[in-house]
Amino acid sequence: MQNNKPLRIALTKGRLEKDTIGLFESLGFDCTAVREKGRRLILPIPDANLEVVLAKANDVITYVEHGVCDMGVVGKDTIMEMHGKFYELVDLGFGRCKFALAGKKNENFYAGVGVKTIATKYPNVARSFFAAKGMDVEIVKIEGSVELAPLLDLANGIVDIVETGSTLRENGLEVYEDVAPISARLIVNTVSLKLRQHEIETLIQKIEQELKEREESK
Amino acid sequence: MKDYSLITPEGTKDFLFAECGTRRAIERTIEDIWRSRGYTEVITPVVEFFDVFNRRESSFPQEQMYKLVDRKGRLLVIRPDSTMPIARMVATRLKDAALPLRLYYNQCVYINSPLLKGRSNQIAQTGIELIGSSSRLADLEVISAAIDVLSACSKDGFSLELGNIGVFKELMRQLNVSVDVEEQIRQLIEEKNYPALSDTLDTIGDNDITRALKKLPRLFGGAEVFDKAAKLFADEKITALLDNLRSVYEEAASLCDTGVVTVDLGMVGRTDYYTGIILKGYLSGCGDAVLSGGRYDKLLAVYGYDVPATGFAVHVDAITGLHAKQGALSTAKHCDILVYAEEEYATAAIRKARALRAEGKIVELSLQDSLEAARLYAKENGIPALVVIDKNDEEEKQDAE
Repeated sequence: MQNNKPLRIALTKGRLEKDTIGLFESLGFDCTAVREKGRRLILPIPDANLEVVLAKANDVITYVEHGVCDMGVVGKDTIMEMHGKFYELVDLGFGRCKFALAGKKNENFYAGVGVKTIATKYPNVARSFFAAKGMDVEIVKIEGSVELAPLLDLANGIVDIVETGSTLRENGLEVYEDVAPISARLIVNTVSLKLRQHEIETLIQKIEQELKEREESK
Repeated sequence: MKDYSLITPEGTKDFLFAECGTRRAIERTIEDIWRSRGYTEVITPVVEFFDVFNRRESSFPQEQMYKLVDRKGRLLVIRPDSTMPIARMVATRLKDAALPLRLYYNQCVYINSPLLKGRSNQIAQTGIELIGSSSRLADLEVISAAIDVLSACSKDGFSLELGNIGVFKELMRQLNVSVDVEEQIRQLIEEKNYPALSDTLDTIGDNDITRALKKLPRLFGGAEVFDKAAKLFADEKITALLDNLRSVYEEAASLCDTGVVTVDLGMVGRTDYYTGIILKGYLSGCGDAVLSGGRYDKLLAVYGYDVPATGFAVHVDAITGLHAKQGALSTAKHCDILVYAEEEYATAAIRKARALRAEGKIVELSLQDSLEAARLYAKENGIPALVVIDKNDEEEKQDAE
């Protein structure tokens, strides 16, 4: 079942896209078409027989799950929130940050018996974090700056992505507890891995080799 | 109140014309394969008691089942799976029947899956259950049926994948960790999440078993997998399982003319259900497995009849979707002759239509008010011939063009 159709890889638009292209370039792939993409959303990397699709994080998972893209690069944050059926083969190491529980400085979040209210953009992540603690919480989904919710007294705390923590500090908030580390992952459609095993494994070996060299040169 | 009378619920859809015809054609092709192998059809109810699917030993995730309450307040579910009801049926009604039993089904299952993921909640499946034999020949019989189905349904080649859940189970038995940790490891192997699996196993310790478990999800591909695995597993029990899988793999490969047979030792889905050799089938162009199944020797015992069994289900909708994508939909409407009756000649026309049908023609009775309208209808629907029955009972046969 060998075919020369390019392997299609969906990249999360923005920083993960740039980091992945950087990784591909250090593998020696010619990514000119992706660098000069204009408004196009499907771009070739001909020398690696790859086709890059640019999408929003949630959509990367959807495309890979349905097999219209063979592979995808997406943050662990999106995977934890969305779940789905695919193989999560490689931790790419970039896009590092963490999920954390945060709230107003100098307050004891766990004090008292009342049900706490949590504001978050990631209700599934928040729910399973507290479920593992056996804690019932009220979850409010917020779309924009989640930090506002405790400041406006809508919520006792937030579960959100924390990179440097400077937004929290500037608003008088602090991290109470880390929830989970985050980094970019290479995901693969379950059927693609089987039907195009050799091509995908070759690419992954190259990526793992490059990541190892980067780790060692640090 | 909002009116939902014009739409179907999320995850369900209507099948029209070509799509419907294709699905039925695929079902017929596969049912012919079942029947030619001596399998007999059974139909189980669409609704079953919740308890059928909620056994401690082998349960179906409750959030994925549609539930109803009957008049006595008992919990019912719309079947999410056909094998468990068939196991219930065999364990009760066919307890005294001679073994092995060869049963097949062609019916939908209903899974309440997360919304807006583009997945169907009503899933057409046809499958076989071979009950009453734990022999290697029984495994091979089921595998060869799978090969026949994949060959009949594939256009660009297929791949049949074999595994043995026993390897994982034996490793976990030896590792001896809590149920939660076991489930965590199982999930990471199933997802082939290499980095997280390594991290989790490192916290348990570095020994032969954790090292083997780390490699398990990477052990997939062709015959070379067995050579790699042989270096990893010194254990006698596991070696025996692998030797058995290898010989089945080699025999399956020799039975497979057009497709590829592969192995994946990291297939560890539904460990509470499967007990031995498991299989999955893939068609090029389809993002999900088109058939899946395996040996489930402990399931019937759950319903009080301790006999071994194996089988698999074919996902008819997935194959229909693929054929539609490949433009292989069977032709839509097909009609050879339109019979038009002038006023008062209805019975003569019906008699004529009956005679033509006896010759094997597909005949429609025209319901148009005028011959002109009947001509137009025949033209628009691609019906090649028009027969007019009028006062002389004369037939005017003409090309609709």
